[in-house]
Amino acid sequence: MTASLTDQLASLVGGAQMLPPESLPGYLVGGLTPEAVAQPETREAISQVMEWASRTGAAVAPWGGGTQQGLGNVPARLDLALDVSRCNRVLDFQPEDLTVTVEAGITLEALQRQLSLGGKHLAVEAPQPAKATVGGILAVSATGPRRFAYGTPRDWLIGISVVAADGSESKAGGRVVKNVSGYDLNKLYTGSLGTLGVIVEATFKVSPAPLYFRALIASFRSNESAVNAAQILAKQSYAPQGLLVLNHVAAGQMSHLQIKEVLRGAEVGQALVAAFFEGRDEAMVQGRLSSGANLLGSHGAGADSPGADFIDVVHLNPEDSSSLLAEATDVGWEPEAAPYLALKLNVPPSAVSGVVHAASQPLPLGQTLGIVVDPGFGTVRLLWRGSPGLGPASDQRAHNQAEFDGPVSLESIEATIDRVREFTHEAGGTAVAEWCPLALKHRIDIWDGAAHGEREIQIMRRIKEQFDPAGILNPGRFLGGI
Amino acid sequence: MVQPQFIQELHGIVGKENVISHPDDLLVYEYDGSIDRGMPQVVALPASAQEVSRVMALAYQQGIPVAGRGSGTGLSGGSISPPGGMQISFARMNRILKVDAVNRSAVVQPGVMNLELDNHVRKFGMRYAPDPSSQRACTIGGNIAENAGGPHCLAYGTTTNHVLGLEVVLEDGAVVRLGSHSETPLRETPGYDLRGVFVGSEGTFGVATEIVVRLLPLPASVKTFLGIFPDIDSACTAVSAIIAQGMVPAALEMMDAVTIRAIQKTTDAGFPEDAGAVLLIELEGLPEEINGVGDHVEACLWETGAVQVNVALEEAHRAKLWAGRKSAFGAFGNIAPNLYLVDGVVPRTKLTQVLAEVADIGRAFNITIANVFHAGDGNLHPCILFDEREPGTLERVIEAAGEMLKICVAAGGTLTGEHGIGLEKKEYMPLVFNENDLTAMRKVRDCFAPANRLNPGKIFPDGQPYQPQSHRATPGMTV
Repeated sequence: MTASLTDQLASLVGGAQMLPPESLPGYLVGGLTPEAVAQPETREAISQVMEWASRTGAAVAPWGGGTQQGLGNVPARLDLALDVSRCNRVLDFQPEDLTVTVEAGITLEALQRQLSLGGKHLAVEAPQPAKATVGGILAVSATGPRRFAYGTPRDWLIGISVVAADGSESKAGGRVVKNVSGYDLNKLYTGSLGTLGVIVEATFKVSPAPLYFRALIASFRSNESAVNAAQILAKQSYAPQGLLVLNHVAAGQMSHLQIKEVLRGAEVGQALVAAFFEGRDEAMVQGRLSSGANLLGSHGAGADSPGADFIDVVHLNPEDSSSLLAEATDVGWEPEAAPYLALKLNVPPSAVSGVVHAASQPLPLGQTLGIVVDPGFGTVRLLWRGSPGLGPASDQRAHNQAEFDGPVSLESIEATIDRVREFTHEAGGTAVAEWCPLALKHRIDIWDGAAHGEREIQIMRRIKEQFDPAGILNPGRFLGGI
Repeated sequence: MVQPQFIQELHGIVGKENVISHPDDLLVYEYDGSIDRGMPQVVALPASAQEVSRVMALAYQQGIPVAGRGSGTGLSGGSISPPGGMQISFARMNRILKVDAVNRSAVVQPGVMNLELDNHVRKFGMRYAPDPSSQRACTIGGNIAENAGGPHCLAYGTTTNHVLGLEVVLEDGAVVRLGSHSETPLRETPGYDLRGVFVGSEGTFGVATEIVVRLLPLPASVKTFLGIFPDIDSACTAVSAIIAQGMVPAALEMMDAVTIRAIQKTTDAGFPEDAGAVLLIELEGLPEEINGVGDHVEACLWETGAVQVNVALEEAHRAKLWAGRKSAFGAFGNIAPNLYLVDGVVPRTKLTQVLAEVADIGRAFNITIANVFHAGDGNLHPCILFDEREPGTLERVIEAAGEMLKICVAAGGTLTGEHGIGLEKKEYMPLVFNENDLTAMRKVRDCFAPANRLNPGKIFPDGQPYQPQSHRATPGMTV
């Protein structure tokens, strides 16, 4: 009998870098349990593991904090989870150069804490920052409520090192803020879901940390008026750094006390605008906040006025502002209460209002729908959760199709996805399924690749073949079955 | 090798009047903005993506290598024709197709000039942020190929941060969409970020035929400072201090004494001729905010040894300062007939040290160096001023430039911040990338251009240094 994968790898990299069998259930991907979990302490060991995998053909799922491992198709194969979270050092922080180089296993929270000691921060957000690692954030291109001002992780990444499928390490970019030496492979690896290599090191541009942070919540009588008001606010010179619209369901599912207060006695159909302002001068942040509040609360009928559906606006104190941002960043990615279906729509900002309206019409899935909108960036997230008899969908805890024998059928979920994609495509956008029942994953295109031309997908396939000829890195999980 | 039959077929695709094949006419296409040179066999000027596609397909069938060409202002040889090759000029594809104020985006053809786009969208209250100093002449297509920078990239990022989608034509003539489509601009699309990796691929992946760019709102107000320093050391200290204190201006440019005097001979930009260095600093934002930050910047300048600080609030004053900055390269013609511009990047805290080392090289090689550069990014531009008629000078200049790049790399920096590798620096690539790194890059190229017909012989070291030729600095030259 051949030795188990764990034993084989233990003899290669040492038993201390392999997790015991009881850890395996914590590393499910798409319902598949890996045969072994490696947790290397060094990138040399990561290289050794990948070299071994390419030799044996073992399929590997690179793993950071595991916060978004529900994303993507069911992998074609899974033998080994490669957890890089122990490679988590800050390698080079140069506050006066506004750059930082880290190992990929560091969590966003730990990184921000280190940066704050030098008065800096990384303008990158991700759900569950205490667990989410830099490598994972890059792999999924995670964002948060301040994407309107911050952009996406690609905008801050200036250098990267990756262990390829064959175990060789290579880098691109560098440690300076401006660099066109060689191809910009930073962009290629960002958002590639670990299908091209294991990210082991990243260098970012960092920014002076904002010293003051304040939020406001404005309530409106309809989704439409909230979106409209938020989009007018987004166009102002005093626009906030972060801006979200929550429909009454999404708002009602939040635990933030200020949200609960605002919603008290509210009629169904009410929607909230949450705006986040930050800066290095208190008076300026306050000034922007006041201007924003005044704009949202203006009742005029002019072209620049949000109109008459405004109800109220609440200014939050600094602590409440920060906790609201944290909860808003986590929406849809809560570890214990993930939606059974979550669709992330990317649409042009001009189409946001129409898409929200279409999503608010009756859909085949007759469940209440949470809508979270980034009106400045063009992101609309649709979240269905908490149906009786329905556990969370594709994550570790409930991947059994039997759970869908309840009031919600797979057919109605699929029909809903189809319907949402129909109106999203009409608006020129795409709808990625961030969460969906495992049983559906084999039937639908998680990534909504329809927007891509055949030749574009062909280039993507070629890249995958070039970088991972044996197909051992997250095989099948990505767009087009890559 | 291009055959008469090939030229005939090009006539059939783009029209006889849009094919240049007479050696006298081709002379214009031999150069770019720097010292590289290569005579194309033929130049085609297509008017549409379909024509580009047919030209590319034809060249592919005939085995003719291709270089795309915008305005030929590049500085690393990106638009120089490969030996025995042809150029596709985008001079006729120069229309702004759409400006979308609601979604803050525009759709342009590759031959649109950078400044023309920016001027046009300003009418709608927006701007196109990347502003290479050659923006009066350079094209968006060329900017895409080189991932062009510019003074205001300090705050807003380089070209890659402002491109949402591309229509490109591959070496075999296939037309492919990368990233966002033109009709509906999207900030994110699922799948590998092919648009991101295409930007800065120096014409080796394909040629862009349509570009969806992201626009930014115009700043509510702008304030420009001119800090005047006795020497370059104190100006460098000021740069480091401004960044270290948490201020990131929209632009932070430095000019040294040689540059200041050259500029003032050409145009009165208001730079004192006895200054050792000046810093041009621009702040953008809400009026009350830039007033607050402006006070800090000003204090910083005084503390680090400024002898004078001028503030430009009026547009005319600002324009005068920037006209001075952007005329620097042409003005060097007053000092020496030839100019070689080095593009390197160092960590901002290393500016003082590296500039001292650059000056040492100048002395060791007995060459005149002027410095005018994007100090806020640590993006150096030592300009070597020389006279090619003195035998052996060009070789000495090239060698000195190589030494400067080595210094940048040794200080933790890199080979190029915004001009590209191209022909000029390909043999230096091993200074920053090992064989694994270069192999990964070649793999990506092979996915876009498996036959390597687009700009072959560029970017990657192949032991065949290109023969550089001197180029005269002229008053119209802007870099």
